[in-house]
Amino acid sequence: MADQSLSGLTEQQAKEFHEQFKVTYTAFVGLAALAHLFVIAANPWW
Amino acid sequence: MSDVAKPKNPEDDWKIWLVVNPATWLMPIFFALLVLAIAVHWVVFAVGLGWQ
Repeated sequence: MADQSLSGLTEQQAKEFHEQFKVTYTAFVGLAALAHLFVIAANPWW
Repeated sequence: MSDVAKPKNPEDDWKIWLVVNPATWLMPIFFALLVLAIAVHWVVFAVGLGWQ
């Protein structure tokens, strides 16, 4: 029980999950950036 | 205490999942993000920057 991580995930599982997390997060940031560009085009807030 | 390895990010970012179990916390993280997004939109509309 000593070498288990706090979350219970192995190093392999953590790295594997993080790869997917990065992809999904990048897509989220991309979509948010696109939405902001539409708002800037339609109605700039400055 | 000085012999403790200093983290290097983003290379070590994945280690968060050795502490936070996504099977438990991924959905709460998404719901917190949703609450934050709603709050930001609320403020933006409240200050009159919404579509008019």
